[in-house]
Amino acid sequence: MRPEFDMEKMDHLIQEMKRVAGEVENAGREIPAVVRNVKRIMASIKMLEINVSDVSGILKTST
Amino acid sequence: MLADQKYWNPLLETLPLHKVKELQLRKFQRIFKWAYEHSKFHRAIYDRASITPEDIRSHEDIRRIPTVEKSMMRDVQRKDPFPYGDALCVPLEEVSEFRQTSGTTGQPVYQADTWQDWEWWAECWSFILWAQGYRPSDRVFIPFGYNVFVAFWAGHYAAEKIGCEVVPGGVLDTTARILKIQELRATALMATPTYVLGMADTAMNKLGIDPRTLGVNKITCAGEPGASIPSTKKRMEEAWAAKVFDHAGATEIGAWSYECEAQPGGMHVNEALFLVEIVDVETGEVIDEPGRQGKMIITALDRQAQPCVRFDSKDIIEWDPEPCPCGRSFRLIKGGVVGRADDITKVKGVLLAPSAIEEAVRGVGGLGDEYEVVVDKVGDIDRITLKVELRPDALGHEKSVKDSLVNQLRIKTNLGYNIELHDYGALPRYEVKARRFKDLRKAH
Repeated sequence: MRPEFDMEKMDHLIQEMKRVAGEVENAGREIPAVVRNVKRIMASIKMLEINVSDVSGILKTST
Repeated sequence: MLADQKYWNPLLETLPLHKVKELQLRKFQRIFKWAYEHSKFHRAIYDRASITPEDIRSHEDIRRIPTVEKSMMRDVQRKDPFPYGDALCVPLEEVSEFRQTSGTTGQPVYQADTWQDWEWWAECWSFILWAQGYRPSDRVFIPFGYNVFVAFWAGHYAAEKIGCEVVPGGVLDTTARILKIQELRATALMATPTYVLGMADTAMNKLGIDPRTLGVNKITCAGEPGASIPSTKKRMEEAWAAKVFDHAGATEIGAWSYECEAQPGGMHVNEALFLVEIVDVETGEVIDEPGRQGKMIITALDRQAQPCVRFDSKDIIEWDPEPCPCGRSFRLIKGGVVGRADDITKVKGVLLAPSAIEEAVRGVGGLGDEYEVVVDKVGDIDRITLKVELRPDALGHEKSVKDSLVNQLRIKTNLGYNIELHDYGALPRYEVKARRFKDLRKAH
């Protein structure tokens, strides 16, 4: 039995994190400590997309 | 509790196969488009075949895409953007990691990774380690010379990521490493099978420490096929009183396969992160059904800087018809990677895989772990010399040990050998990938 998760909600929150991280990068784009740390955050967000967002779309389809 | 969770990601690891295939197709389309648009190297290959990203609508379409071989990567490298050449898909400033292949099959290939790629490497390994029972309570000792080879680097980062405490065993010698394992009560190790056996030998025979008393309860192997060779796995597990797990990966691919705690006699392919195809070595025909060996064509579905798209790995594998009792839907490859297309050589007209010799040697009780195979010619006739070591406790039983080895070799390889019994400790010891097979016929 596969466990149930609210995939849509998780995906939505991941996209929101991505958006917010991008805003932080923009706001601090002259500050290396901001830009480089956001870069790392973005890489971690990508891993969340691989683990959740990519499969979220697949689970929505009925076939 | 998180530590009680069986899967690193149940969403992916229990996804039904037809959904896995749907996911793979979508991700393949994405990585193919990325490589096509960002790498002159890939673009040229696909232009020559008149294939564009829009042409990829099904798995059948994927199979029409030309494969990439290691030699093609060598040809484009050591040029601008230096040293990666036209295979690079990102500006050089985005590259944060350099690794290179070991050069076992020729000039090393350089591998560029962005920080995102490096996170991805750790993600691949997180699937491996979680499936093998690594948890935050583990103290993981990594006896590896941290250097340009990827080996256990990603294992280190993944162990950190899943919450383990990691002890880097860097430049310590074998004795110091064993003493550190003892001092810190490490619970897990990562090493090549050769070194796992070598450490046990050093502990027992040089330090008088029985490795079974050290408290290491799991060992993850890489770099050589030994952990999937039953007799070698048995030797390691008995020497350390630990579970020994295999995994398969490569610098230019990623960590694509892993044995789980159920130890089903094979390894799971991480089918959410990789697309594995098996093709007939001679004809190139795709093998979908279980039980037929072929070579692996693999795509890393998320790798960015230097993509791996339909890479001809030369690894020989076959699908296992049985599902794994662990419940993962990722398919198993039976017996792990059973050989390499460029390792399997014809001797006396018979196909010989070096792993079959290892299985025979390690299955004979009176023999040490080390061995060496030399193939040469006497006139026009191939001759195979197998050098093995007699264990001190088998002295006086040379004939029965030798007879047993001859029988095992006959059963497992269908060939006759010139067997040399050497004193224990006489053959070379290796820390990383051992080079035990020497084909001198090519020099003739």
